[in-house]
Formats: sequence, structure tokens, C-alpha cells
Amino acid sequence: MDFNFSDEQVQLGDAVGRWADKAYTFDRRTQTAQAGGFSKVAYQEMAELGLAGLMTNADFDGMDMGPTEAMVALEKLGSALVLEPIAHTWIASVLLDTFAPAALKAAWLPQLASGEVFMALATQEKRARYRLDVCAATATPLGDGHAITGSKHVVAGASYANALLVNASVDGVQALFLVASDAQGLRVEGYSTQDGGSAGEVYLDNTPATLVSTDGLAAMQLARDMGIACLCAEGVGVMEKTLTMTTDYMNTRKQFGVEIAKFQALRHRVADVKMQLELARSMSYYATLKLGAPAAERSQAMSRAKVQLGNSMRFVGQECIQLHGGIGVTDEYAVSHYFKRLTQMEMSCGDTMHHVGEVSARMQDSAGVFA
Amino acid sequence: MDLAFTPEEQAFRLEVSTWVKANLPKRTAAKVHSAQRLTRADMQEWAQILGKKGWLGYGWAKQFGGPGWDSVQKHLFEEECAMAGAPRIVPFGPVMVAPVIMAFGSEEQQQRFLPGIASGDVWWSQGYSEPGAGSDLASVKTTAQLEGDHYIVNGQKTWTTLGQFGDWIFCLVRTDNTGKPQAGISFLLIDMKSPGLTVRPIKLLDGECEVNEVWFDNVKVPANNLVGEENKGWGYAKFLLAHERANIADVNRAKRELERLKRVAKAEGVYDDHRFRDQIALLEVDIVALEMMVLRVLSAETSGKSSLDIAGLLKIRGSEIQQRYSELMMLAAGPSSLPFIMEAMDAGWQGDAALGLTQFPGGDASNAPLASTYFNMRKTTIYGGSNEVQRNIIAQTVLG
Repeated sequence: MDFNFSDEQVQLGDAVGRWADKAYTFDRRTQTAQAGGFSKVAYQEMAELGLAGLMTNADFDGMDMGPTEAMVALEKLGSALVLEPIAHTWIASVLLDTFAPAALKAAWLPQLASGEVFMALATQEKRARYRLDVCAATATPLGDGHAITGSKHVVAGASYANALLVNASVDGVQALFLVASDAQGLRVEGYSTQDGGSAGEVYLDNTPATLVSTDGLAAMQLARDMGIACLCAEGVGVMEKTLTMTTDYMNTRKQFGVEIAKFQALRHRVADVKMQLELARSMSYYATLKLGAPAAERSQAMSRAKVQLGNSMRFVGQECIQLHGGIGVTDEYAVSHYFKRLTQMEMSCGDTMHHVGEVSARMQDSAGVFA
Repeated sequence: MDLAFTPEEQAFRLEVSTWVKANLPKRTAAKVHSAQRLTRADMQEWAQILGKKGWLGYGWAKQFGGPGWDSVQKHLFEEECAMAGAPRIVPFGPVMVAPVIMAFGSEEQQQRFLPGIASGDVWWSQGYSEPGAGSDLASVKTTAQLEGDHYIVNGQKTWTTLGQFGDWIFCLVRTDNTGKPQAGISFLLIDMKSPGLTVRPIKLLDGECEVNEVWFDNVKVPANNLVGEENKGWGYAKFLLAHERANIADVNRAKRELERLKRVAKAEGVYDDHRFRDQIALLEVDIVALEMMVLRVLSAETSGKSSLDIAGLLKIRGSEIQQRYSELMMLAAGPSSLPFIMEAMDAGWQGDAALGLTQFPGGDASNAPLASTYFNMRKTTIYGGSNEVQRNIIAQTVLG
């Protein structure tokens, strides 16, 4: 049992942190948000740092790193509120590497690792409400491949994707497909999300698709679990920065002739925020270190982690707005954007209530980190 | 980063659990698993069994006769004891006063006091709080005046846990009134059989007398019972607090009690009620998160690479969780938790002819302690530095 980072991991974090601090300024982020929420230039900069191929096998030009490195990098990206969803690239790459036939891997993984292409995860449906076993989109055989009909809901980066990973049912069984963004019958209606990012509704009408795997549910479960671990890491970064901004503000803002950091009513709220941050960090470690566990144990762990993170993110966001006072609810001041990001993250990969239900359904007689 | 314990640590865990299972009296474990009342004899019997093995002072270094375990080993020992249903080690001797005697006591004091603590033969109590000194411990007023080769102690201590069983008591006493309050405090070891020392149990809201007042009326204490230097006691007390480690969170007991909560919920038919079950699920998440936080502290301690200043968080979270599981257990039993029959909390109770009770109301005597435990647990956010004091400390580290 060891929660220390290796020197290499610390260096990776420093490198990502330097880029985020210097290159990904709040002004640049604001401009990106106004321009649609996804900067291909910024994405390419991250790819040049090696981030796009972070979890890709070295055989496909990746960095061959693991969940801990992903966590280290994401905390830094979270603290800068980076809009471009690079974690989705990792999930897409791992899904392809785990489930796709060799030719498909060779065709896509190197391009994903270099950042030349971005692949969106079109796996959420309106009616599914976070459930993975509900998939209304259907696929039917067409020529050598398949054709998908259906729609996908709030797909991050859909308008900027060169291809999409799409789940669809074949005779009632979920399978995973790859759809090129210029495929016939594919329509993406893009929009901004509450956090300033980019998403889109994806409509497929008899759209040609390449089969990735017939084991679609297992792929969805892996994508969900990776997504949760990534959200946890990013959430810790967002919360840590939110708290720092708040304490900095409290130590300068004066009311009644003193810094508001002097008031015990506020100090105790800060202590509670710190508590939620450290609980969340603990569960982020837990999620990351459980990613390699067998599927059932892994999913149980991720649901537990997401419950903690969901509660922590909501609490930290709400409290830090309150501790700022009026300036906390302005658009100009950064903390409101951190709050909106935290809010959106709670509703990604299954919200807190959904995962309380998952934990509840999976409960055993004994429980703990190792059970 | 690695979540798993090493093979050596796992072997150590197995050694401990095998020994505990073989040596922990079954009747005591049964009482602990159902929160029945423990007698002084139950507690001391287990202390002496541990003492014989050399494990009562499980945090002690080898030079003082301890096992010399590292933080992870201590944690695994605590966990195996808790899960097996061992009574908590009464901490005042082996965990609290012993490290102070080791660090600041004379060699003569070490030889005089440590063997009795290590064997579990001598029961120690803590004389810290006073009526006017709770969270504000530095304002203790109990005085110790040096007259020849004795101190004359006058005053009153309170909230002395299990003091009615105590043989000796370590006290913070005032030896100087001139400077800052912290600068006039000394650390004194007092024989509780001394003339002029009176122990008065305080009945608490659960009907039990878990704590006591200890009165000192011209109690003569040999001057060589002073630990370290006069007026340096505050520093020793702070050392003692720093010595209480991650176990302040009591996460191992929380895991055991979560299992009991699930048993109670099943027996009472609420485990399949989603509204209730989701509350257990939330508690389970809280306990896993607390355990992860404890493991982070242990990892930092054993590696020595990074320090983690989150002990205050552990105290707050651990105490809130203790309150929550006791609350949920009571709510699970609902009206069956309401009959107040003290004797039914004793092992083997089977009705009471004098009271006209053929059985515990509702039929299940394991419900008898649930409300009492809930009431009793309100103490956890108050003692050991109230949670509000802990929040002050945390805020200081975050805000300056």
C-alpha cells in the first residue's frame, strides 16, 4: 500500500501543470467557450505533450501509461478548467485496444495518439437516464458492415469529431460501432453546454457503421468506469483550485473592517470544504487504483467513488460561491465557471442518485476498501 | 501507487487474526458483536491476554518491550482485533500515558510504571478535563503545591472515562499561576488509592456511568511522580495528542458496525426497503472514503516521503460516522428500540419475572442496546477536542 507518486509521475504532473498555467489561461478558455467550446489548436498542444496518446500502447505510438498517470494529468487539466475532453480520447483508445479487431486498431490508434483525429463517445441516450443496459439505437446488417438508426444525447465534442464510437442493439444485444463523421445519414446538431464546453445531439438514419465489438455492454461498462475515474481526478483538480481561489479571496476581501477569513462562521465552512475535497481525493485514488480490478469489483468501486465525488463537487461548488458572496455569482469572476463545471460533472457518467442506487443494489454483508 | 498490502503485511495480518481468533474469549466477542455491556473483568481479561503476548502496548518500540510495529502493522492489528469483536483497548495506559513516560519520564519511572501498563494489570485513567476546562484545556485549575518531597493536590477533574475502575491517574495540574496559562501546567502521576482522592460516577443520558468526577482534597503525591520538568506539562500533553494516530478515526470498528447494521436491518425487515437501504449505501460510501483517508495517512507515515496534516479531518469524519451507524441501527429497529430495560443489555438476559417480562418486547433482545448506543455516541463529536475545535484547527491550516 503506497500512495506516493513516482518521480516520473511528478514530472508528468509538473509538465501538464506548466502548460495549463502558461498556455491555457482563463482568457483563452473564455474565448474558446465563446467560439464553440473546443479548440483544435489547444487539443493539438496537449497532443504534443503526449497527452492524447497517454494510455495508448507503444505499438500504436502511444505513451503506454496507466490510470495513475492519467489521474495526475487530469488533476492539472481540471484545475485550469480545460474544455477539450482529452479523457474521452483515452477511453476511445482503450475501448478500441480492448475490443476492436487488429485492422481497426492499426487504422485509428496512431491517429488518436497523435491528436490528428478526435473520436467522440456517442453512447448516451435520452431515455436511458444513465443506465447502460438501455439502448434504443439499432444496427442492422448492410453490405459488409452495419447501418445504425437512432439518436445519441449530449455527446461531448460531437461537432469536432472525426469519428464516433456508437453503441447500438443488434437483435436486442448491444454492440459497439465506429461511425465516420462524414458517413451518410449522420447528422450532428451542436451546442454549448453549461460549463462552456461543446456537445451535440447525434442523429443516425441508416448510417453505415463498422463493427468494433459484439460485446457492447462490457465495452459500455468499461467506458463508464474509466469515465468515472477520470471525472474523479479532474473533479479533484477543479475543487482544489476552487478552494484556493476562495481562500485567497477571503484573505483579501474586507467587511466590518477585517478580512472575511477572520469570521468563524466562514472558517468552519472552509473546514467542511476541505473535508469534502480530501474525501474526494481519497476516493479518486481508490477509483484509479481499482480500474484494473475484475469488472464487477471495478464497477462497484466506481459507483462508490462517484457518490463521494458527486456529493463533494456539489458541496464544494455551492459553498465556495457562498463564501465569495456577490462576486461569486458574476460571469466575469472565474469561480462561477468552476462551479458550473463541478455541477456538470455530477451529471456525467451517472449522477449521485443513480450511483447510490448502484451501491445499494451491489451491497454485500461486509464492506471496505478491500471488499 | 499501489492499493494492495505487501505479501509480508498480508502474512502479518494472518498471523494476528489467527492469534486473535484463538485467544479472544468467545463470550466477550459475542458481547461486542451485539453491543452488550462489558464488565471491568471482560475488559481487563482481554488486556491481560494481550499483555501476556506482548501486544497490549502494540504501539511501543522494542526497547520498551513493545513489538516495534510500523504504522501499517499497527493498523492491521487494530483492524483484526476490531473485526473479531475484541473490546477496544482502554487507551489511557498503553496508548496515552506510556508514550509520555517513555519520552519524558525518568528511567526510574519507566521501570516503575511501564511493566504494569504492558501487562494490563494496572488500570490507568486520564485526568485532563475540569468543569471549567473542556475544549479550553489550558485553563485547568487543579493545583499541585510542592511541600518538601510531596505535591499537595487540590481541585476537581471531570469526564474521567472509566475512572471508577482506575488504579492510577495521570493529571494536568497547575504548578504556576504567574505566566501564560499553558506555561504553568505540570504532568503528574497519582495513585487513585491516595487518601483525599474521591471518584464520583456521573450518570449519563443512556443510564450508564461511563465517566466520573475525580476530586482531590489535599492529596499527597510523591514529588518523584512528576513527569519531566515542572511547568512543562502542556508540551507533554500536546505530544500525547500528536501521538494519537490515524486510529482516532476508528474506521475498523465502523466496518464491523456497518456489518451489524446490515444484520439489524435484515432482521427488522427494512434491508429491502429502498429508502432505508440507500441510507446504508451512503454510509458504506462514507466508510470506504474514511478508510481510504486513513490508508493515505498510514502510507505517508510509513514512507516518510510526504506528511499529511489531516488528523483533524479523521476525527471529525470518524465521529460523525459513529453517530450515523448508531442512529441508523436504532431507526432500523424503530419502536423495538424504545423499551428501556438496562438488564436486557447484559448477555444471557431472558426476561424478568419480577417485571413480568417473558421476553424483550418484540422478541429480540439484541435490540435492547440500540437506543442506548445512539445516545452514548453523541459524546464522540464532543470529546477528544470537539469537532468545532477541530474545524478551527483545519481552517487554520487552510486559511492561515
